[in-house]
Amino acid sequence: MPPLIEVANLVKEFRAFDRQEGLRGAIANLFHRKYRTVRAVDRIDFRIAAGEMVGYIGPNGAGKSTTVKMLTGILMPTGGEIRSNGFHPFEQRTTYTRTIGVVFGQRTQLWWDIAVAESFRLLKSIYGVTDSDYDARMKRFDEVLEIGRYLRTPVRKLSLGERMRCDVAAALLHNPPILFLDEPTIGLDIVAKERIREFLKEQNRQQGTTVLLTTHDLADIEELCARLMVIDKGVLLFDGPLAELKRRLWREMAVRFQLRDREQAEKLMAATLPGVTMQRSGDLTVRAKFDRERQTSADVIRGVLALAAVMDIAIEEESIEDVVKEIYTGTSLREPVA
Amino acid sequence: MNARALFAFARMGFLDMLAYRVRYYTGVINYFINVTVYYFIWKAVFSANPGYGGFRMEEMITYVAVGWIIRSFYFNNIDWDLSISIQEGKIAMEMMRPVSLPLSYIGRAMGEAAFRAILLAIPVSIVLAIVFPILPPKSPAHLGLFFLSLLGSVLIVASLNFLVGSCALVLISIQGLLRFKFWMQELLSGLLVPLALFPAPLRAVSSWLPFEHIGYTPMMIYLGKTSFAQVRSTLMLELCWVVGLLFAGVWVWNRLSRAITIQGG
Repeated sequence: MPPLIEVANLVKEFRAFDRQEGLRGAIANLFHRKYRTVRAVDRIDFRIAAGEMVGYIGPNGAGKSTTVKMLTGILMPTGGEIRSNGFHPFEQRTTYTRTIGVVFGQRTQLWWDIAVAESFRLLKSIYGVTDSDYDARMKRFDEVLEIGRYLRTPVRKLSLGERMRCDVAAALLHNPPILFLDEPTIGLDIVAKERIREFLKEQNRQQGTTVLLTTHDLADIEELCARLMVIDKGVLLFDGPLAELKRRLWREMAVRFQLRDREQAEKLMAATLPGVTMQRSGDLTVRAKFDRERQTSADVIRGVLALAAVMDIAIEEESIEDVVKEIYTGTSLREPVA
Repeated sequence: MNARALFAFARMGFLDMLAYRVRYYTGVINYFINVTVYYFIWKAVFSANPGYGGFRMEEMITYVAVGWIIRSFYFNNIDWDLSISIQEGKIAMEMMRPVSLPLSYIGRAMGEAAFRAILLAIPVSIVLAIVFPILPPKSPAHLGLFFLSLLGSVLIVASLNFLVGSCALVLISIQGLLRFKFWMQELLSGLLVPLALFPAPLRAVSSWLPFEHIGYTPMMIYLGKTSFAQVRSTLMLELCWVVGLLFAGVWVWNRLSRAITIQGG
């Protein structure tokens, strides 16, 4: 089966000008501007199959939103090719947008001063949703997202969580095969996040909706996405399952041993185990660091137990946040691997 | 873009106007104040120069009152709405609808016009007709042609506003440009002073611009100052401006939106 979304060699450049500083600079800017080209997305390739849920992460300014805006047809790519659901998003936007749903976490597609229900009625008529489909979908949205009681309220009076639930429902009113979400859980409390995640999972399972979402909340990825793409400085650094990313970045592991007394701790520090680095982290505590690719924690524990009298053992788990922090700040994925 | 979607946007334009009550009430009062001010100015002018510019005093009062009544109908703010949407990046959400963006804005303007006709133009007319001596249209035929011309006015205003608002795609902040257009329209539509009273050079400039078809053309038809022979060519010219501006707006939007940047991420 051909992929539903196919992106090849995608590039987006913006023209920016450097503002000169100070009053004198501001006046100079009126007459002369120095422009430079900023490449926000740099030769990205990927394919997404129907029914996938893909997480798209990267630090602020990495090019995530720019990619999503090109995929949704708002921005015209500077170079490269996008085929999504058989369309060229930018050129065929008005027909293409019938087949996608979009949620931008920082914005709303609902009308600010008018009751939520009116926005839904507008969407119903512009997408040509039939009365029976409309009723059935609104009922389902109300069951999972509990939006029924906000329908008569103007959007400006809703809390962020309430508004976001309405926005997610609005994006799915025409039951599109593809859903793009740009930071759908930004600023939400844990309950609202959970509810939106549940709903997306159900939508994917029941309707087979293909989902691409950007996020800074890695719990979104862990709960929803079997596949993860990492972008930084416009370059796609990783594309694969979360477990694979963890395996590649999370090579260093540590086991912490608490020893019976100081003598035992010194004895362990003096000993050598192949491939293991010992580190004194307290009076009676020693950390044994090793490469998880080469050794298992069981081997290391067995080795240490044979050398010294151990009272307690703890295996240090790096959190997914640490893994991602390493990607953003370090160079571990700098070589493109996608 | 189907008729149903256009109607749906018109409906939203209507509801949006109703969202704030005070905005509506003050709107009615503002029109009354404007007409009153111009009534006294022209009364002073005509008591000194009867028949000034080929107008009788009653004609001039009618010109002012009906001029403001139709302004309450054709006027809209989609230029501001569009430019603010671009400046704040909200345009991204509007571009996600499976509807041509220019037509969704024109549709909203039409909805606003329908609202304004019923809830502004009619009450304002009633109040003014009680207070000021307003002449009826020259004949029922003139009234029909006046309404036809008025349909052109609202389309010219909507497409011109869309065209000017689109400039925000490149200029981002266009408040200055919009104010300039606003005063050009107030002046050259003949709202403040009938074009017949303009000096010849200004008259010549104005004849190359669309503004006079917004107010002056329908008003002169109403008063019967445009002969039936001229009406045909005037309305044709007005139609050309409607079509020209509509196409220009769509074309400029399609060109400029290729280089759109979404403000605020």
